[in-house]
Amino acid sequence: MEQLIQELKEHLIEELNLEEIAPEDIDAEAPLFGDGLGLDSIDALEIILILEKFYGIKLKNSAEAKPIFYSVKTLAEYIMQNRK
Amino acid sequence: MDMECFVENIVTDKQVTSDIKELIPDAGLRRRMSRILKSAVMTAIECAGGTDGIDGIDAIITATGLGCLSDSERFLRNMIADSEQLLNPAPFIQSTFNTAGGQIAMLRHNHCYNVTYVNRDCGFEDALLDALMRMADSQSRRVLVGAFDEQTPSQYRIMERMGFWRHGTCREGSVFTTLTAMPTDSAIAELSCMDFLSGPITEENCMKSYSGGDDAVLLTNDMEDVGLFPVVPARLFAEGVRKIAEGAERVIIYDRHGGDRQTVMVLKCIGH
Amino acid sequence: MKIVVGGVGLVSALGSGVDANIAAMREGRSGIAPSPSILRTGNKIPVGEVALTNDELHRRLNIPIDCHLSRTALLGISAVREAMNDARIPQGLRVGIVSATSVGGMDLTENFFREFIADESRGRLRDVRMHDCGAGTDAIARYCGIEGYRTTISTACSSAANAIMTGARLIRHGVADCVVAGGTDALSAFTLNGFKSLMILDEKPCRPFDESRAGLNLGEGAGYVVLLRGEDAADPYCTLAGYANRNDAYHQTASSADGEGAYLAMSDALAVAGIEPSQVGYINVHGTGTPNNDASEGAAMQRLFGSHIPPFSSTKGFTGHTLAAAGGIEAVFSSLAVKYGLLYPNINFKKPIDGRGPVPVCEFAEGKDIKYVLSNSFGFGGNCSSLVFAK
Repeated sequence: MEQLIQELKEHLIEELNLEEIAPEDIDAEAPLFGDGLGLDSIDALEIILILEKFYGIKLKNSAEAKPIFYSVKTLAEYIMQNRK
Repeated sequence: MDMECFVENIVTDKQVTSDIKELIPDAGLRRRMSRILKSAVMTAIECAGGTDGIDGIDAIITATGLGCLSDSERFLRNMIADSEQLLNPAPFIQSTFNTAGGQIAMLRHNHCYNVTYVNRDCGFEDALLDALMRMADSQSRRVLVGAFDEQTPSQYRIMERMGFWRHGTCREGSVFTTLTAMPTDSAIAELSCMDFLSGPITEENCMKSYSGGDDAVLLTNDMEDVGLFPVVPARLFAEGVRKIAEGAERVIIYDRHGGDRQTVMVLKCIGH
Repeated sequence: MKIVVGGVGLVSALGSGVDANIAAMREGRSGIAPSPSILRTGNKIPVGEVALTNDELHRRLNIPIDCHLSRTALLGISAVREAMNDARIPQGLRVGIVSATSVGGMDLTENFFREFIADESRGRLRDVRMHDCGAGTDAIARYCGIEGYRTTISTACSSAANAIMTGARLIRHGVADCVVAGGTDALSAFTLNGFKSLMILDEKPCRPFDESRAGLNLGEGAGYVVLLRGEDAADPYCTLAGYANRNDAYHQTASSADGEGAYLAMSDALAVAGIEPSQVGYINVHGTGTPNNDASEGAAMQRLFGSHIPPFSSTKGFTGHTLAAAGGIEAVFSSLAVKYGLLYPNINFKKPIDGRGPVPVCEFAEGKDIKYVLSNSFGFGGNCSSLVFAK
């Protein structure tokens, strides 16, 4: 799990161009959207791509993704349960 | 055409010295910006006198030749390489020609008029004309007009294959100017005339028609620069404004675009 | 100075020419096909494609095939020629053009790039010659005999509305006596995949303003109007009475929940026309069918018109969303709505949003007494434009 969380943080930084942020700056339990990391709807689409590209998980739309995308930790838990 | 306005400020990308984090404090906005978007938006903010200055702008008019080319190219390459699968939306949405204008507005939630001209190297003058019309109609009092162009290695290679670039001038960069309907304390020059000619004239005739008896300086563009990029005429305009700031009474800018379009603009010193 | 619409021309998935388009809408026949048949793409997704290949377009327009014009330019020439023939522009006027496009010659550039990225010495240069947006406008001017002021505007999906607004202002300020204004966009794999990556393409025919709407269908086409001073047009369709552009300044692609930009554009356009919201007889809405646009536009309409929203519809269920051409095609529809009292149905609509959202016109109607028509076009970058056409 810890390793997956670290890996996810790195993917997020790379794919969302979070150039000014280091993995250790991201609190795995803080919200990704809104007040937390401040991500938006376009980032949600990019995270859908991360799931598909690196973990073979297909999500249909961003509405379905809402609870899964709450934090890095919820994302990691979902990946653990669903990865192929 | 009988329309005039005043040049309050003009800034080229090379003159931008402030830190990007100061000019664009929103990290969310910053992180998706390509090199040219950063250049255009930073130049615009610096020209407006800082981020707060955007609040005083009531029209944002931009011009570009090929727009945010690296984003367009990135999306196109990914699309072909990944056979239209798993595409990142960011470069697509950033590739739109009016992205720079939109981002300037978004910085300060400025809801004003916001239009982008994509008309080869004539776009900057089209944008100036739009600004003049808005001020003549009392729709705007302070207008931000700018040109930005990006070059990429592939585009350079393609244009090289087409036989351009004998001189290799840099056509990349950004120029923004703030124009006002009434002269302000910081006004540098008056744009007193803008004419579109349907055919070329000699430099001698141009001087005769537009010098108005003053000691006028004539600026013309290098025919090698005629082509796709409005940032080139925008730089010539900036040079004209600089000459006025340095003491010239009148500057005539004669932009030859080739074919059926030539533009003449007259800049005068304030109070003359 | 009164600026009038003296001629109209368009091509869309509904057909070539104004008559074919109106006939299709009268019959309730959509131009949306289950998947592209001409566009080179692997995507099987509904689009509103013009049923003519580039070669066929060259032939129909009597342009030699080896001129190798972009599809965007070809569609533009088709619509501009129709509009100019329709207008019978008086001799001696200085005719200009303001054309809009969002993709320029991308349809050809894609072909070039497929070869170029494998080997930079490959790819046919004639496929990139028309890449930039201005090249298409130059071609349209050349093949339609337009010699006056010409420029190109690109503000995503509001482009053509801005071109029409600019055209009117150029006449007012004496830059031209007559301006052909509108927009053209061809389908391209670039835009189709772009909208796909944003997950806003509906896999079924789009359903603007419907509760079940799930995105837009892309379309292609061109729509232009010929703008003249009132005294230069013998039998104009209508007056272009108002226009405005404002920015939502909220997000690069999404519209704000309260539709601030849309609200400001509509109310400014009505103010320019000097009319009250209650005088509007029909609104041709932007209505793309994305959950976000329709909710935002609906909120803006509710703000402006209160509980008395005039009859409105989106024609994008017929044509698809033609991007930079949309404002031009819909300006033609709006001009005809004023002249002949037409109302166009918003096809595929069943249930209002949240059970209480605004309900669009669902039947084709003609002979209505319509004095003012409002046409909305909104685009990426928060770009919002509205036009007012009047009797």
